[in-house]
Amino acid sequence: MSQSRELYDAVLNGNAKKAHEATQAALEAGFAPMTLITESMVPAMDEVGRLFEAEEYFVPELLLAGRAMRSAMELLRPLLATAGEKMSVKVIIGTVKGDLHDIGKNIVASMLEGSGFEVVDLGSDVAPERFVAAVEEYKPQFVCMSALLTVTIPAMKTTIDALNAAGLRTRVKVLVGGAPVTPRYAREIGADGYSESASGAVTLVRRMVAIA
Amino acid sequence: MSADKVRIRLEPLSVVVEVPRGEPLLSSISQLGFEFPCGGTGFCGGCKVRVLAGSVLVTEQDLSAFSPEELAHGWRLACQAHAETSIVLECVQWHMDVLTDDSGQSALKPGLRKHGLGIAIDLGTTTIAAQMLDLASGDILAVETDLNPQSAWGSDVMSRIRAALTGTDLTTIVRSKLQAIVLNLARGRELEIDEVVLVGNTVMHHLFAGLDVEPLSRAPFESALLGEQSFSPQELNWPLSSACRIRFLHCLGGFVGSDILAGIVAIGMPSADNLTALVDLGTNGEIAIGSRRGILCASTAAGPAFEAGTIRMGMRAVAGAISRVFYSNANMQATVIGDGEARGICGSGLVDAVAAGLQSGAILPSGRIANRTKIFPVCEPVVLDQADIRELQLAKAAIASGFRLLLKCLGASADDVQSIYLAGAFGNYVQIDSAIGIGLIEAPKTCIHAAGNAALRGAKALLLSKEESALPEIAHVSLAAEPNFQDEFVNCMTFPRMKHIPEAH
Ligand code: B12
Ligand code: FES
Repeated sequence: MSQSRELYDAVLNGNAKKAHEATQAALEAGFAPMTLITESMVPAMDEVGRLFEAEEYFVPELLLAGRAMRSAMELLRPLLATAGEKMSVKVIIGTVKGDLHDIGKNIVASMLEGSGFEVVDLGSDVAPERFVAAVEEYKPQFVCMSALLTVTIPAMKTTIDALNAAGLRTRVKVLVGGAPVTPRYAREIGADGYSESASGAVTLVRRMVAIA
Repeated sequence: MSADKVRIRLEPLSVVVEVPRGEPLLSSISQLGFEFPCGGTGFCGGCKVRVLAGSVLVTEQDLSAFSPEELAHGWRLACQAHAETSIVLECVQWHMDVLTDDSGQSALKPGLRKHGLGIAIDLGTTTIAAQMLDLASGDILAVETDLNPQSAWGSDVMSRIRAALTGTDLTTIVRSKLQAIVLNLARGRELEIDEVVLVGNTVMHHLFAGLDVEPLSRAPFESALLGEQSFSPQELNWPLSSACRIRFLHCLGGFVGSDILAGIVAIGMPSADNLTALVDLGTNGEIAIGSRRGILCASTAAGPAFEAGTIRMGMRAVAGAISRVFYSNANMQATVIGDGEARGICGSGLVDAVAAGLQSGAILPSGRIANRTKIFPVCEPVVLDQADIRELQLAKAAIASGFRLLLKCLGASADDVQSIYLAGAFGNYVQIDSAIGIGLIEAPKTCIHAAGNAALRGAKALLLSKEESALPEIAHVSLAAEPNFQDEFVNCMTFPRMKHIPEAH
């Protein structure tokens, strides 16, 4: 048996309590934490993403699944740390300066985390300098930016410019999203990727990791 | 323009087409989106236009469709007309229904110690409504409505801010439109006007007054200049008596402006003993709840779904729009404006349709369309797709969660609210049953009332009152700063479970 069906179902159905219990039970039954993540949680989040793309799931289901995932991760994360295991890919994410819309960003963060990436969430209203400082501190491979307002979208460009000025731009891939962002704008400002959805963000990161 | 061509301009959208002289309008203006509901037979009257410039011959069909007086005012059926000269036409089917308010003195209980004439103006993001009053009697002497000319720079306040920040002079644009409106109202009595009172949201306030909108373009979206802005006619270059005062009333905080202040006054919230609420179901989604003991307000940024703005087959409430949907005896029935074929759906139709879908079970409480097609047919050929329903869920959740959070801030529960007034055009047309059905408003039906143009009504009351009567404190709550917003928003995104409707016997 390589996967915990209970954990998979609990994440898929967005049941945080069950996810916690299932994780505990699986650990007691001798599952390795990393196996639980890759064999149960990631497939569950993939299915959540697929259901969202298929228009079966919407924002509430995504947030609930994210919450369930996190309640399992609370148990798993310390174990990974003591075992010296590390997620291979690190992502920093934030809503850009001037913008407090963070619901979409939160969903992207939890989908990425549930897909087995290490996510550092900088929150909302994140100034370019803070993105730069976080890249220096956490040394991520990816920087994700979210913006929901016509007037804050230009902050994505300012942030990319700041990464350039700090000589960090080539060390990271920059992904952008949020309802009013367009693929064209993403290209214009020199972002490496854009997606209109959180599951698309996961696909982007996976694809770029595979290429790199 | 070559000699054998003429130019047709259609108002209020100001779209222009050049056509060969003598061409029937039927073939030339449908490309501009003008509709001929009966296909041009001359029977429906849905293609009615008014000739504003140039001339159009009167046809036989015109004689039976219009009175001599209407014909003299330039009314014609577009489907019968030919473009013999360059013309400018006003298109009734493109007219947004601009709500005005006809309450005069009696309803307003003015202090009535003023004299002379006064003008009240509701400067909306989309529409403008203005009235001239006799300040002594409170009588309405003239009414003007129009579209906000800034609309060419985007439909929501954020786009206007961006346009202003990138150098467009939206101040001059709106001031000259308002000047024209004021002169139209006054018709020669300019010098008798003692006072002009304007209300509108914070962005309209700033743009009219020529204040810097930069602080409104970034978090925390607070401007330091929310106070009343007062002008002399000279400052605006309006040809009124130099004693006249022109006042744009003060904003309440964030994006919530004096239109909501006026609405609060209009529905009597400042003197209410029990909690009363005002919900403006526009793009900004403003909510105020309170009583004589104090009032809280907030804006929830619902977006344009209630105006069917982000709906695939969405359209304004004009000919061809589904405006009502009923579900009875397992049957879906739709009403189309103008009785022609359905071409799309407007905001009230959208809310009805989804409420009906919830009743029939075609739409699940999660918002999912139950069958695999992900298409919800409303009335041939109009359908809603899954994304349309998602848009409505976001918009209604923004309003409902904002309402719940304001109640929480007041330490009150939904049962404590005695009356809820719905303002704005959509608030006036939406079926209250359906609004309850989709969970947009969470209250018993008997508590919910349409408020009409409460902003204009309140502006008149404030214009007529001798002194600023003492209002209770009105505090603005920034929902962005509410840590519970996300949870409440997501809770409100699903639809209420429908109670089983007993079959009629
Ligand atoms: C909820 C909401 C709010 C809440 C925000 C709460 C919060 N904590 O986030 C509150 C009420 C506080 C709010 C406030 C404001 N809002 Co608001 N808000 C909305 C609303 C209703 C929904 C937004 C949302 O959460 N969508 C759901 C999420 C899940 O979608 P999403 O963010 O697009 O994310 C998805 C994808 O885009 C993608 N994605 C997102 N980020 C990223 C990043 C990457 C890298 C990738 C790959 C993908 C990706 O994945 C997500 C999931 O699939 C919209 C209107 C609407 N109907 O959409 C207005 C809206 C966004 N707000 C608007 C405005 C104007 C404001 C205010 C400025 C004004 C006001 N009236 O108060 C304030 C400003 C607040 C601030 N300082 O930022 C406008 C913006 C208009 C414009 N042209 O810019 C909108 C469109 C409404 C409107 N038309 O007026 N708002
Ligand atoms: S289209 Fe002209 S009367 Fe019907």
